[in-house]
Amino acid sequence: MRHYLLPLITGLVLGGIVHILTILAMPQLALDNAFTRLAKLGPANTVQFVPDPTPVEAVLPRTDPAFVTAICRYNLNVGALKLRVPTTADYTSVSFYTRQGLAFYSLNDHAAGQRTIELQLMTPSQRAALPEDEEITRADRLIVESPTTEGVVLVRAFVREPGIRTKVRERIAAVNCAPES
Amino acid sequence: MDNSAVRVIAIVTAVIVGIVSGLGLTWFASTGAIKFGTIKAGTWVAWPKSGTVDADPYSRAMYARAGELPLGLTDGISFATTNDDSGSPLNGRCDIHIAGQLPTARFWTFTIYDSQGRLIENAGGRYGFTSAEILRKPDADVDIVLAPRARSGNWIPTGGRERVIAVFRFYDAPMGLGGRSSNTVEMPAVWQEFCS
Repeated sequence: MRHYLLPLITGLVLGGIVHILTILAMPQLALDNAFTRLAKLGPANTVQFVPDPTPVEAVLPRTDPAFVTAICRYNLNVGALKLRVPTTADYTSVSFYTRQGLAFYSLNDHAAGQRTIELQLMTPSQRAALPEDEEITRADRLIVESPTTEGVVLVRAFVREPGIRTKVRERIAAVNCAPES
Repeated sequence: MDNSAVRVIAIVTAVIVGIVSGLGLTWFASTGAIKFGTIKAGTWVAWPKSGTVDADPYSRAMYARAGELPLGLTDGISFATTNDDSGSPLNGRCDIHIAGQLPTARFWTFTIYDSQGRLIENAGGRYGFTSAEILRKPDADVDIVLAPRARSGNWIPTGGRERVIAVFRFYDAPMGLGGRSSNTVEMPAVWQEFCS
């Protein structure tokens, strides 16, 4: 009996370790995660529309069809990014995710309180390297720190009823995301 | 058998048990079966922390594997269900009723998906409702029916899918919503009838 019990218990302990390691590694290892799917839409540091989901295909599963979505997949190795998002007549939000899908910041048109949401995205070290002049410390200059050099910005605008989709789309087409020059 | 053969068999057994049980548990957990930090409201489940930097490893693994991005918590919060109030899976061949009160938010959307998270094909391109589109009744915030064939009122076609996922998303919801404990959020009742 003891011949079976020891390997079994050792095996289960090993199983626990395997389980914890694989769960923790999943965001890095998942081959078909959101970042990989969105990367197929176009190059980094540019804006792309995410095609409206249909029953046949959707870039991301369980997308809310009541939104127009655009993304800017970023790579901060080229330096900080500048992001301009014109808000629509209705709800507009900007959400930031790391490459592994961790949502680290989001804000919407109400919170921003302006017709255009303007912000800068940079790594903590790029922020630390900013010269300390007055302009930078001005309150209306919004700086978002990304914990990773790569990630994705999701811009979503609400389509209250299907008839206004084209209009919302036109507005979101003006979203700008580019390295600071 | 001599001693070394027994030892080899023991080690091989331990390794096999370890890999199988470890990976099996991970597979099971990444389907969303292990729920840390969820809010339950009737049959509805939300993962408010999944859209924050405090997301737990299980919800992160679940989203990564599904290829989905969680809603940022300051963006919105989603409540999903695959079951009715009695615990039976939502069956697209039945009349599924969803009626009752909803938490406060700037607006909400309601969407149904098949078991793979895809929208369900239908002639009218009707995949859900927004709070702006829904027909209201005086006694309830929502009264929706999901059914294979046309119904009066707020009807969404299910295409007769065997399994259906229903999702409410509340946008720009008061910050408190994500911090509430289970069963203090009021969500609609879900029941099924006339299964064909």
